[in-house]
Amino acid sequence: MAGGNVRLESLTKQFDDVTAVDDISIEIQAGEFFSLLGPSGCGKTTTLRMVAGFEPPTSGKILLDGVDVGNWPPHRRNVNTVFQSYALFPFLTVAENVAFGMKYKSVPKSEINTQVAEALALVQLSGYEKRRPNQLSGGQQQRVALARALVLRPSVLLLDEPLGALDAKLRRTLQVELGALQKQVGITFMYVTHDQEEALTMSDRLAVMNRGRIAQLGTPDEVYNEPADAYVADFLGVSNLMDARVEPGGNGGGPCRVRLGDFVLEAAAGQLDATGAVKVAIRPERINLHPYEAGGANRVPGMVERLVFLGSTTQIFVRLATGSALQTLVRNDGAALPYSQGTPVSVGLPADSLRVLPDPGVSVAEIRDKTLGDQLLDLTSTTSS
Amino acid sequence: MASAVGEAVTAPSGRATVAWRGRPRGNPWRRPWVMEGFTWLYIIWSIVPIAIAVLFSFNKGASQATWQGFSTKWYIGNSVNSVLHNPSLHQAVIQTLNLAVLTTLITVPIGVGFAIGIDRWRSRTSTGLNFVMIFSFVIPELLLAVGLFLLVTQALTFIRLGTTAEVAGLVVWNISWPAIIVRARLVTIGRTYEEAATDLGASRLGAIRRVLIPLLMPAIFASAVLVFASTVDDFVIVEQLSSTAPTQPMSVLIYSNVHGGLSGPALNALATIMLFFSLVVAVVGFVAYRWMTRGERTKSSSAALTSIAGM
Repeated sequence: MAGGNVRLESLTKQFDDVTAVDDISIEIQAGEFFSLLGPSGCGKTTTLRMVAGFEPPTSGKILLDGVDVGNWPPHRRNVNTVFQSYALFPFLTVAENVAFGMKYKSVPKSEINTQVAEALALVQLSGYEKRRPNQLSGGQQQRVALARALVLRPSVLLLDEPLGALDAKLRRTLQVELGALQKQVGITFMYVTHDQEEALTMSDRLAVMNRGRIAQLGTPDEVYNEPADAYVADFLGVSNLMDARVEPGGNGGGPCRVRLGDFVLEAAAGQLDATGAVKVAIRPERINLHPYEAGGANRVPGMVERLVFLGSTTQIFVRLATGSALQTLVRNDGAALPYSQGTPVSVGLPADSLRVLPDPGVSVAEIRDKTLGDQLLDLTSTTSS
Repeated sequence: MASAVGEAVTAPSGRATVAWRGRPRGNPWRRPWVMEGFTWLYIIWSIVPIAIAVLFSFNKGASQATWQGFSTKWYIGNSVNSVLHNPSLHQAVIQTLNLAVLTTLITVPIGVGFAIGIDRWRSRTSTGLNFVMIFSFVIPELLLAVGLFLLVTQALTFIRLGTTAEVAGLVVWNISWPAIIVRARLVTIGRTYEEAATDLGASRLGAIRRVLIPLLMPAIFASAVLVFASTVDDFVIVEQLSSTAPTQPMSVLIYSNVHGGLSGPALNALATIMLFFSLVVAVVGFVAYRWMTRGERTKSSSAALTSIAGM
């Protein structure tokens, strides 16, 4: 079980004339829970499949504990995969599925049963040995797939959207379990997902991918709170993005002064030395709403467009006088909300939460289109949290 | 403005304002008598001749047209001209089974190999082979039979007319069944199971043997049933490629005797036995196929395969 260091060096994969993975370099430490996060088609699964050995890289290296395995067939690599579709063999029992790979590990016959039982105990499926995969629920099948891979003690476990096919509640339970399991077995996990919540809750570090490249690599805290660009900010949770322009001389140390339409605001986070056109981002939970009459710094007048009750919080959609649409979150603490559709409000955008991001050269709407597709799928899961 | 919209929506039934685009006549959910009637006509039309042929195999007299009472003499009773006692008749039964078993045993493994090759190793060769597989559904059987006859008698003379040539011809004619049915299943299975197997340590061939073949079993079995049934029924190829009497299966014997020679209800009995073999194989195949795919009932893919297999 020793080892588990993965190094990708300038890894590139081209399918005909499409570049799926474009010159990425990552180093994953042994024992780390590392996620690749991005919308469908960003190259995350292709990257994983190259590490597993299902696709040969077009160029670049895949180093497993220092050995370049880029052209090795899958069965020679000490990595195992948990597939999104589980890929359990339907004609074998649960125990036979888990024991499938033991045959190639020169494990003595007497040992096999013990190890299979241990692996099933690890995923809390003891007593299910004789069942067939089709007699199990989706969550149970996923655990069998996990046991089948873990029993071989790979140095790296590759997980391709393993919770993708499960319902929101089960997914959240398994997220916690999977995280705990990884700490318990100490194997390097390389986890592919399009679900930002999954990546943020489980990972030690994660790479946000976009168009075959790494948009940002860091801890969940860094990536969520200090997104490197507008794309990352938008992809990681609901973020309010607005087009803005840095005021001439507004970037001379201290907070950056940015102009949104007719209003000039101070922004104290992000790229404070930017000039010209930029994007500014703010998380919904950082926005505060005040009565329309109340003045104050860094406030923009607006009007409530819609309220969505989410249980513990209420989501309020506000249209600013600049034309931008924002969403905010207000905790439901028992008091009735003084807002309804059409209520004029003063929207407070605290300077230390207002983040200046480099302009990617596309409009806010275009960024949203790109990241929205996958987030819509997860709307039910994010709204119930 | 708002109230006007509201009124339009709530206006009761709107007899005057709603323009009917042709009122439905009668009850749209009535039973489709015409379609049902036509279907039954078709079923009767296709079953009655067979039923009559089977019925007269049990005739007490020697007539194929006048019913003279029930008897099994044409199967076992008649010591001269029953299927059991007439050597040329029971020889034909044995030869038919012989050809069917041999053809199935040779065709299915080759066809499965073709299917896996065509689907899993994409190349110009596999594309060409795939075309040939479909091609054999299109060309007339007689053309193939005559071609094979010329080939065997003029060029490849080491293949003698008779069982060897018959089996060779039947294999060529039937190879598309396993190739196409197994390939359809390969497409629905996808590559994930093989990837999982190699990921767990199996080599490429190991993955095919331990995972792909078991997953293909229903399709392999279905195609074996079809090959067997189609061989039992085959006439054109075996007629061309058979030689002496012992190498003539039931279909050839019935054809050569139906206008004179050895005739009578014994031939009906022979045909009934042929029909019986085909039916038994089809029923066994259907039941076994259902059993083998019992875990996949919810998948539409198996329904698609069932319809391709014609069961």
